[in-house]
Amino acid sequence: MHPAFSVIFFTVSSGAGFGLFALLFFADVLKLGGGLSGEQIAATGAIAFFFVIGGLLSSVLHLANPKNAWRAFSRFRTSWLSREGVFAVAFFPFAFGYLVLSWFSLANLEVLRLLLGLAAALLAWITVFSTGMIYGSLKTIRQWNTPLVPANYLALGNFSGSLLLLAVAAWAGLILAPFAYLAGSMLIFAALLKAIYYFWIAEPGAGPSIQTATGFTRAQVRLLDAGHTHGTFLTQEFGFKLAREYALALKFLVFVIGFIVPLALLIMTSGKPSLTWSALITVAALVGLFAERWLFFAEARHVVNLYHGSQRC
Amino acid sequence: MSAATIKIENHEQQEVKFTTCYMCACRCGIKVTLEAGKVRFIQGNRNHPTNQGVLCAKGSAGIMKQYSRAKLSKPLMRKPGTHRGAGEFVEIEWEQALDILTDRLDLIRSTDPSKLAFFTGRDQMQALTGLWAQQFGTPNWAAHGGFCSVNMAAAGLYTIGFSFWEFGAPDWDYAKYFVMWGVAEDHSSNPIKIGLEKLKRHGGKFVSINPVRTGYSAIADEWIPIKPGMDGLLALSVVHVLLSRELFDWEFLVRYTNAPWMVVQTPGKMGDGLFLRDEAGNPLVWDLEKQTFVSALDADIAPAVFGEFVAPDGRPLKTSMQLMAERYLDERYAPENVAAECGVPAEAIERMALEMAHVAFKETVELDIEWTDIWGRKHDKVIGRPVAMYAMRGISAHSNGFHACRAIHLIQMLLGALDGPGNFRARAPYPKPIPPHQVPENNIDIIHAPNTPLSRPPLGFPTRPEDLVIDHDGNPLRIDKAYSWETPIASHGLMHMVITNATNHDPYAIDTLILFMANMAWNSSMNTKSVQQMLVEEDPEEPGQYKIPFLVMVDAFHSETVNFADLVLPDTTYLERHDCISLLDRPISEPDAAADAIRYPLVELDRDVKPWQEVLVELASRLKFPAFTHKDGTRKFKNYPDFIVNYERSPGVGFLAGWRGKDGDKSLKGEPNPKQWEKYIENESFFAHHWPDNMKYNRFANKDYLEVAADVGFVGKAEPIIMQFYSEPLQKFRLAGQGLYDGPQPKNQTDRDRLVKYFDPLPLWYQPLEQQRVNEADYPFYALTQRPMMMYHSWDSQNVWLRQILAQNYMYMNRGKAERMGLADDDWIWVESHNGKIRCQLKTMEGCEENTVWTWNAIGKQGGAWGLKPEASEAKKGFLLNHLISELLPEKQGERRVTNSDPVTGQAAWFDLRVKIYKAAAGEVGTWPEFPAIKPLPHDDGERPNVLRYSTRSDAE
Amino acid sequence: MRLGLVIDLDVCVGCHACAVACKEWNASGTTAPLTDYEPYGAEPSGVWFNRIRHYEVGEYPHNKTINFPMSCMHCEDAACVTVCPTGASYKRAEDGIVLVDQDKCMGCNLCSWACPYGARELDRESGTMKKCTLCVDRIYDTKLPFEERQPACVLTCPTHARMFGDLDDPESAVSQRVREREGYQLMPELGYNPTNHYLPPRTATPIPTENMGKPGFKDRLKSLANKIVKR
Repeated sequence: MHPAFSVIFFTVSSGAGFGLFALLFFADVLKLGGGLSGEQIAATGAIAFFFVIGGLLSSVLHLANPKNAWRAFSRFRTSWLSREGVFAVAFFPFAFGYLVLSWFSLANLEVLRLLLGLAAALLAWITVFSTGMIYGSLKTIRQWNTPLVPANYLALGNFSGSLLLLAVAAWAGLILAPFAYLAGSMLIFAALLKAIYYFWIAEPGAGPSIQTATGFTRAQVRLLDAGHTHGTFLTQEFGFKLAREYALALKFLVFVIGFIVPLALLIMTSGKPSLTWSALITVAALVGLFAERWLFFAEARHVVNLYHGSQRC
Repeated sequence: MSAATIKIENHEQQEVKFTTCYMCACRCGIKVTLEAGKVRFIQGNRNHPTNQGVLCAKGSAGIMKQYSRAKLSKPLMRKPGTHRGAGEFVEIEWEQALDILTDRLDLIRSTDPSKLAFFTGRDQMQALTGLWAQQFGTPNWAAHGGFCSVNMAAAGLYTIGFSFWEFGAPDWDYAKYFVMWGVAEDHSSNPIKIGLEKLKRHGGKFVSINPVRTGYSAIADEWIPIKPGMDGLLALSVVHVLLSRELFDWEFLVRYTNAPWMVVQTPGKMGDGLFLRDEAGNPLVWDLEKQTFVSALDADIAPAVFGEFVAPDGRPLKTSMQLMAERYLDERYAPENVAAECGVPAEAIERMALEMAHVAFKETVELDIEWTDIWGRKHDKVIGRPVAMYAMRGISAHSNGFHACRAIHLIQMLLGALDGPGNFRARAPYPKPIPPHQVPENNIDIIHAPNTPLSRPPLGFPTRPEDLVIDHDGNPLRIDKAYSWETPIASHGLMHMVITNATNHDPYAIDTLILFMANMAWNSSMNTKSVQQMLVEEDPEEPGQYKIPFLVMVDAFHSETVNFADLVLPDTTYLERHDCISLLDRPISEPDAAADAIRYPLVELDRDVKPWQEVLVELASRLKFPAFTHKDGTRKFKNYPDFIVNYERSPGVGFLAGWRGKDGDKSLKGEPNPKQWEKYIENESFFAHHWPDNMKYNRFANKDYLEVAADVGFVGKAEPIIMQFYSEPLQKFRLAGQGLYDGPQPKNQTDRDRLVKYFDPLPLWYQPLEQQRVNEADYPFYALTQRPMMMYHSWDSQNVWLRQILAQNYMYMNRGKAERMGLADDDWIWVESHNGKIRCQLKTMEGCEENTVWTWNAIGKQGGAWGLKPEASEAKKGFLLNHLISELLPEKQGERRVTNSDPVTGQAAWFDLRVKIYKAAAGEVGTWPEFPAIKPLPHDDGERPNVLRYSTRSDAE
Repeated sequence: MRLGLVIDLDVCVGCHACAVACKEWNASGTTAPLTDYEPYGAEPSGVWFNRIRHYEVGEYPHNKTINFPMSCMHCEDAACVTVCPTGASYKRAEDGIVLVDQDKCMGCNLCSWACPYGARELDRESGTMKKCTLCVDRIYDTKLPFEERQPACVLTCPTHARMFGDLDDPESAVSQRVREREGYQLMPELGYNPTNHYLPPRTATPIPTENMGKPGFKDRLKSLANKIVKR
């Protein structure tokens, strides 16, 4: 699959934003590290909004005909993309209400505040899950068509969100240990899931082949001519090929920059990184995630390639 | 969901018209929907005999042809002071263009008419251009048949009276076995496709003999990957198998062929190998009942088919059949002895022969149709041997193609599989006498006479050395040396030699060369790069003048050749003009119907261009050709449509056969009908005269048919057309080579040798001429081309839609072979012949004979031509194989340079090429040789949009 | 009703006639125009609804070339419709044709990702996804002659390798062909239940060649008594 920057940015950024928001709520409820003040919650929420909205705007940029983007909410019942849109939009009023009530710290509305926050946190997770399901539900792409994909999206969103939260905690002067443990466990969980995913896609699946694609199952089938000399929409969108050695190198990069460096820095700073260090850790993780997301697309082999000569996908 | 969003056609804005396609040579009927004057949709006309409603990719892409950016828009003159080929032109008015040309032609015509050479490419108006040349008085006219398919045409017309391509067609309705010999991808586009489907649907077997398996061959039930140039040998081996098992149709041979004719056997003496004839000139046979020689043309005879006899004057005789049997029963032709040469297993050859025999003799088709033979006997049945064959360029484009094609006809004759149900049938106006009774003008006084038309057309069918177009010293009188000792039966001329000969002033210098619709500076010439150099070669003896002093190019599009013109006359597209596809020319007849067709303007002209046929009529009138002017010098015809209606070749016979007679009620023959065009337009632009059942078969000997044919001028007389597998005309030329002919004989030893060797009266196979001279070990591969289906025989391949399908060609090679050579897909390789080398990109495939490489022809373009940007893929990655092919054979000591053509017919031997292949060095990428981009024409800023959104919908976004 | 195409690989010669007829019809059809990119430039490309691929099956000399036209399969379980967030992609209840409402499409490409057959192509100029309409603007156009109310590709196919009809009706010509010729669907394992079917190439029945003629004519020729055949 063609790794489109807008989609990569969208999923990484909104994943981090939603992850941050959901974890923020639970940190708030559990008064992690001493608890964030109302103002701090509101400010953190704004950061989450920034990531989410940035991502969503980028996703609109990906559209060839954005003037019809508003119609994307109309197929909630069948389309994961529509669901993602609906959930993402539904997230905002709850999240906004939670932040406003947090800001004003109205004691008599605490239950409402927590209910709004809970709803927003759940919607944040559901949205990230939906994003994963957009890809996970496609039977045409073996590398995506697995529960590992939404699980990965959730884990990585929470992982990047947890690092952001750690940075917030450092900025807010809270006790950092619980945040560091949270980030560390999210990191290990995400890294494990990602590793499982990479091993899983490396297994040649028993999916479609050029034989089942053409129906000539009893002999070697080779493409003689695709019927067009130069690219088409199909080759541009689906024809992206990544050499095995690049893919390996990139996976190495994902793990080193995305997981190992942040973990090392966490340990190095004894779980109490300064704001600068935590920002550095977050940036490293996000760089890793961008690489991860690029690979996620680049390694996906759409079955239409079978018609363009691939023997397997 | 509602259907409300479906926008249906705006029929109010639309009109539907019928005309004839011109995207290739098939001439299918098309139904054109126009919307507000723009072309909305082109589809097949379901009533049309040629395509029956279907249409190929080219036909549908006609829209993009009509709106091509390559269209010429105004007459052009090479800018004074610039060099030819520099691409600098000035626009001029038509009046000026016509004046320039008229003055020049007038001077030529009033001094030495041969100094005009007029050659046409893929035109469909040879009856007009030929008449024009004849009236001008130049012998130097021909169309592109000489580099296309003259081997097929000549072999057929000298053997069976009709031929492959336009003068015959397989009978798809009844055929049970179909052998396709060397037919490229998409030849005879829609008719063959329709036919193959019919054949396969009713369970017939389709065998394709072709080194490459693409296109039609893809759906063959059996593919025989033969080595190129070996088809004749394969065919003769089939003959061997049939003869050795006595699998031939005695009745057919006796009744309809010259099998029993007596051939004089006096080697080394005059008259050897000619037929024994009576005083009236009739060939004789031995009547087994009467025990005497009788005329072979009589009825009620019982001729001996085999045997040796003695003529009354004591000369030894053999029947033609005896000679044939003796030759082909020889073990030389046994399947096991030709298998290695052909690259076809002996088992496959034998099986093919036996399958043919089985289908011919055990699955005979019998139709309850009463018919009368030319000798007056009634038959209550028509018998069909349902083995159909078709052959084309794989046979034709070799220097042994004439004989290879004759060998195929020999199989057909043995099987009795000609013009009957289920086999290969003739299309009107064929069959004709063998060969047709028309010899080329060769009277030197007439040819040289100023202001005098030729007494006969420039092209025809020589039957003896006296018919050659040579002077008293034996030198060619035609610029292409057709009908000279070098290529005596060059019935379509040798267009591929014109530029070379004219540049070399060999046999003489010409003044003006008019090329119509032929891309001779690019893909239609051998040796393209040299040809481009020849076109700009200056004449050292005439300072400031080119070797070819004046080049006129007539085309609708900006081709590579336009770039070399001194004068460019812009033509119209096929949707903008009147045209006729005439029975006098290459008609659209089908076996069951004589047919012709027209075109008329559907789209309004938006440029200052004129149809070439209008210009020809105009020039003919200005130059006062007798056929075009009254005695007082005034013009006879107002314009081209007027000419078509009123010109009569003989009383009642004109260009269009339909709706003749004053009231339009006569078919095939009748007085001119002033409303003829209107009648054609009313009738969807075609005319079909359906033959009644009793005239559909065996027309070479069908009395009722031949009487009609004689009446309407298809044949001179209603007399039997006896098929000639032993060819006496060839033997006469051979005798001339042997010095045993009582008439003109060649002086040059090369000519003598060629005549002796190649003018065998029986079909033979010999190694293609180029291959006799290059070392097989040095050049191990055969190399050839074909056109892709969506571009076959197209005016050009350049069209916004079609080029998306194919914009770069590769050199294809057998995959296993490539692997063994260490070559892989997309490698840049050098391909080298005795004539030069090219660099191109490799693709491997399974369906390619192991010793063969091939590519798509004419995909490579010169940047800037055909409306393309200089960086177009066709220019940067596409290539021509043409650079490797020489128009002359490799030099041989003691011999003058001779043409790389079939020695009998002058057919260009494109596919004789042998090459070597090796990987290009690292860093050597891109095609080579490279050509500079052609400059845009004056009306063109050279800018091209990056996006095209063609639509006729007014409501399209 | 379940309208679709049946494609006979036994007779398809790969001529691209259907692809170009499709292009010309739809260039001015209901989702017109179909944009072409770099029409005169280095790498020409454009929007097409029907593409012909060419395959080789088996190895030389036992290879067979298969020409393989592909357009929208109008799947019964059309994932392209399921994934569409805007409702632009829809499958018509009355005849099963899958269409894209150009007024609703936002150009997210997701439907093309969901389609295994490469049936959908984005028009970058309009920003909308375009695809085979089964010539819905021809087949119901009562102003066209009855016999022409067929998809342009079917109408033009020179070998009649393309047939159009109702695959729901077991008695329709297309259903019968599918039964007789063991027509199959592409990538059935994905479960989209495509409506279009492909008819595999047939094997020709062998022609008997035993006992054809009497070998040894060469020897017989020496002492041959001519047959009396009269004309």
